[in-house]
Amino acid sequence: MAIITISRGSYSKGKEVAEKVAARLGYECISREVLLDASDRFNIPEVRLIRAIHDAPSILDRFSHGKQAFMAYIRYALACRAQKDNLVYHGLAGHLLLMGIPHVLKVRVIANLGDRVKSEMSREKISEEEARSLILRDDQERRKWTRSLYGLDPWDSALYDLVLHIHKLTVDDAVAFICEAAKLKQFESTPETRRKMDDLVTACEVKALLADEYVDVRVACEFGNVLIYTKSGGRLQHKLQESARKLGREIKGIHHVEVHPGVPAPAQAV
Amino acid sequence: MSIIIISSDSYEKGEEIAHNAARALNYACLDRELLAVVAARYGIPQDRLEWALESSPSSWGRSARLQDRCLAYMQSTTLGELLKDNTVCHGLAAHLYVVGISHALRVRILAEPVELAGEISGQVDVPSERVSKLIDRQRKLRQHWSLTHYQLDETDPSQYDLVISLSQIHKDEAIKIIAQTVGYRRFAPMTYSLRCIKDAELASRVRAALLETFPKVKVRAEGGTVIVETKGTRRNKLKKAAAIKEQVQNMEGADYVEVHVKNGLFRKTP
Repeated sequence: MAIITISRGSYSKGKEVAEKVAARLGYECISREVLLDASDRFNIPEVRLIRAIHDAPSILDRFSHGKQAFMAYIRYALACRAQKDNLVYHGLAGHLLLMGIPHVLKVRVIANLGDRVKSEMSREKISEEEARSLILRDDQERRKWTRSLYGLDPWDSALYDLVLHIHKLTVDDAVAFICEAAKLKQFESTPETRRKMDDLVTACEVKALLADEYVDVRVACEFGNVLIYTKSGGRLQHKLQESARKLGREIKGIHHVEVHPGVPAPAQAV
Repeated sequence: MSIIIISSDSYEKGEEIAHNAARALNYACLDRELLAVVAARYGIPQDRLEWALESSPSSWGRSARLQDRCLAYMQSTTLGELLKDNTVCHGLAAHLYVVGISHALRVRILAEPVELAGEISGQVDVPSERVSKLIDRQRKLRQHWSLTHYQLDETDPSQYDLVISLSQIHKDEAIKIIAQTVGYRRFAPMTYSLRCIKDAELASRVRAALLETFPKVKVRAEGGTVIVETKGTRRNKLKKAAAIKEQVQNMEGADYVEVHVKNGLFRKTP
């Protein structure tokens, strides 16, 4: 009864590991499904969501904040899936999107650059130089993306519980490690961790519904009490309070909503 | 019949895991107690050796050379001990010079961030806002240290087979994972991997012997053949090659010595 996020670079065999782990544990294995859910729920073309989660924000994005709204939709979709438990997610940024949930086992699967280049060459039928440059560009993009949105480096091992290097270790070894780790007591869901998950889903839903209109909004939820943090004041603040009250009535599970203008958001806020 | 090399961002945690893993597997444990042997063998005070392992690289010539020599002496002694097999090694920077040896399992242990910050600062209660700053500064220092002396980044997860974070995974579980991994057949010594470690030990022993007279010397070994590279002027080329040959040819394991003296820019270049 755990949630497993598998972070991977391109051609690092992470997908294969995720599928085998899910098959062995009888869990659901998802990646792109989260984008489809978000696309359906918020009526956004999937291709725009893919771009939001794949490409690092451009200078224009930094002003328009469009990417942040798309990320809020994706985060909500993933949180809803994770709420059901028994899940292996091998899409992008799972370890960041579900940060703060104790029963999430965060794994990173890495492979040698040489092995990745060989895989890309044989799959795409391209030269070694092209394959190397494509992989390095992709890695760079991922790094830029995580840094710009979360201020973190995806290469930092401290973000994960386990980092497995597929070289001397095989895919099957990695699968065995992950399955054993997932059975550890600390990754079992308990009423307390499930409550945290429910709070995350609520916070993500509120954020997703506000993100389009209020760019700097951050949301935290504890025991169904929603706290909205914003930097903006004046007329926008009154409008936000009105929207928050409305959401409080509409969303199931919210007991109370408060808006805190000008107060720094806590680390667990989404 | 393998070698386990444990590197950690926390000396205490790494040491504890190394000792317990050695006990569980009935392996020998190699740690900083070896520094007393190095000190006695090379006539260098033990605190100097510890300083070389911990301090950031100096930009001053004499101090940098002393640090290089201390590290070379440690490397030579550690590799000599690792020839014995069935050893857990920790705290001697072996993860940076036992490279390309297939029967060496390289593991990185990451301490729980708050505990690590406490260890770095020497305080029991570290304010939460200082935790990430302290860890970040420490990581940058270690990155700089390892890149300067070994041209490898010790914080890069691809340097290891396995990275385990102790934030969620308990020490005993980490030991279990290590013990299980080292039991895999691919970590069993083979003729080739044993030859590789013998070559590495011979090269490091020769370098340690030459370093005082020839500080910029580079040494590699291939099955009893020792290849030494250094720089010199046209006038002293032959003299230098003869001096190196004389010093190396009687060393144990060195069957044949090849010396390449490249043209240095300045006469003084050793």
